[in-house]
Amino acid sequence: MKPIEKFLRSIINEAVDKAIIRAIRGQYTESLYGMIPSTKKVGISNLMEIAMRGNQGTPISRPLGTPVHLSPWEKLLFNPVHLFRFPTQENVGIRTSITIGHRAKRPMTLSIPIMIAAMSFGGALNKSTKIALAKAATAVGTASNTGEAILHEERKSAQLLIGQYNRGGWINTPDQYKQLDAIEIQLGQGAQGSAPQRTSAKNIGEDFREVYGLREGEDALIHSRLPGINTKDDFIRLVRRLRDETGVPVGLKIAATHHLEKELQIAIEAEVDFVTLDGAEGGTHGGSPTLQDDVGLPTLFAITRATEYFTRKKVIHDINLIATGGLVTPGQMLKAIALGADGVYIGSAALMALVSEQMVEVPIVPPTRLVVYTTEQTDQLDEDMAAMNLVRYLNACVLEMEQVAVTLGKTALTDITKSDLCTMDPFLAKASGIQLGYVAPEHQGRFFDETKPFLQTYEEHLQ
Amino acid sequence: MSKYQDLKNTLSYIHSELNRVETMAGTLSSIERDHYNRLANFDHREILDIAVEEQIAARQLGTMKHMCLAMAEKIEEIKNAIDRGELVEGTHRDEAH
Repeated sequence: MKPIEKFLRSIINEAVDKAIIRAIRGQYTESLYGMIPSTKKVGISNLMEIAMRGNQGTPISRPLGTPVHLSPWEKLLFNPVHLFRFPTQENVGIRTSITIGHRAKRPMTLSIPIMIAAMSFGGALNKSTKIALAKAATAVGTASNTGEAILHEERKSAQLLIGQYNRGGWINTPDQYKQLDAIEIQLGQGAQGSAPQRTSAKNIGEDFREVYGLREGEDALIHSRLPGINTKDDFIRLVRRLRDETGVPVGLKIAATHHLEKELQIAIEAEVDFVTLDGAEGGTHGGSPTLQDDVGLPTLFAITRATEYFTRKKVIHDINLIATGGLVTPGQMLKAIALGADGVYIGSAALMALVSEQMVEVPIVPPTRLVVYTTEQTDQLDEDMAAMNLVRYLNACVLEMEQVAVTLGKTALTDITKSDLCTMDPFLAKASGIQLGYVAPEHQGRFFDETKPFLQTYEEHLQ
Repeated sequence: MSKYQDLKNTLSYIHSELNRVETMAGTLSSIERDHYNRLANFDHREILDIAVEEQIAARQLGTMKHMCLAMAEKIEEIKNAIDRGELVEGTHRDEAH
């Protein structure tokens, strides 16, 4: 082996030497090194997406959502207790259950505050993945969201199934939505806002057509508006009708936006049971980079603003808040709960957990290939193994949350609040009402008073 | 009037049984949690999977306790509604629970 190694090393050495000499002596524009500053200027992802746009000439479809994360979860820290309040004793069980829709005739009680996000069969995922998600959710006592169409096998596997009354119109008839344990009126999502979406007929198989009730050759089209809902009153009437017809919790799902409070006011008037806020970091099976990267309000700020608004309007105990969009660690999920969310949805993280042990079996290609409807590996997922992986993942996540609850001296995850957090960012502290970790609680006001002149100087500098 | 008294008696029975179920769920939940702690000490994949199931069972029993409490509260509301003479409206609203 030694002589081969020596030989290879000498070849590589010579090649690198020649490349460096050419780079130094040649024109910058002709040098291979020119790739490095160019790539650094636009970024590797942007370079590839520029090339894709140049090649395809249509909006490109990027899976899993934006790589841009604007929710600074890492700037929030939990505050453990030791003496002034004691940590919870280890033999005390931490309550993890939550109830969605206290005011509904049939509220929905979950054993853990993590739910599986809406990822539709066909439009996003294959059948085995949908069933594995439902089985795992049932095993841990939580709900999964079917997305925009009810898959018969998924309904059978899911003890609690949430479905979306949607802009494509596929669950919008009583025979469909009466099968659900909660109805989420879907007007938008974090990764795509309220933009229309189209699945081309060439990507629609027979099983997809059957579930969605599509004709052969017909595209699956999600409109920008919910059909028939063109005024605020139309929406309010829809919520009341669904609630009276079904008795299950009826909620609203929107992309989080800077107009949040105006949207929430209408949700309050409609007396929805829950609001699902999908932050700008929300995932998708495929959407244009511009909608993913440049549209929406980050999840962290959406939760704090919504909680504050619901508190101000005195509906915080009537309307559940479900947060979603880019939550991938148990710490992030628990921080979302501490900020006021009753529960969270996870999508991308659930899929990664699902394929965790199987991704090595299909090398070179991304793990998502096993779960997406349109891929070549779409029939290779081992459903039971996948479900068990997700069960283990969810259990581990909740156990980690319980550990935090113990160190905070709490006996229920829902008892964790903003006061259990501190932040290292003064702006975040001001915006969210979380105390600043730099200074003692009694000096918070003094700190901000004393730093005001510096901030004014900074503002003047900006002007 | 005796019809309402029968209903109140039935509700009292359900209420007391729900309290029992709640206590039993709480006890079983702590037993399952203890099993998880013991089983999680074994470095064996299948035993660890059983431990995970035990932990999940503990949480679901905790959830049952929570549901029993919520249902007992609803029953209490119905009984109070009967006492206030709001039976018709009250039972109509609550029978779906």
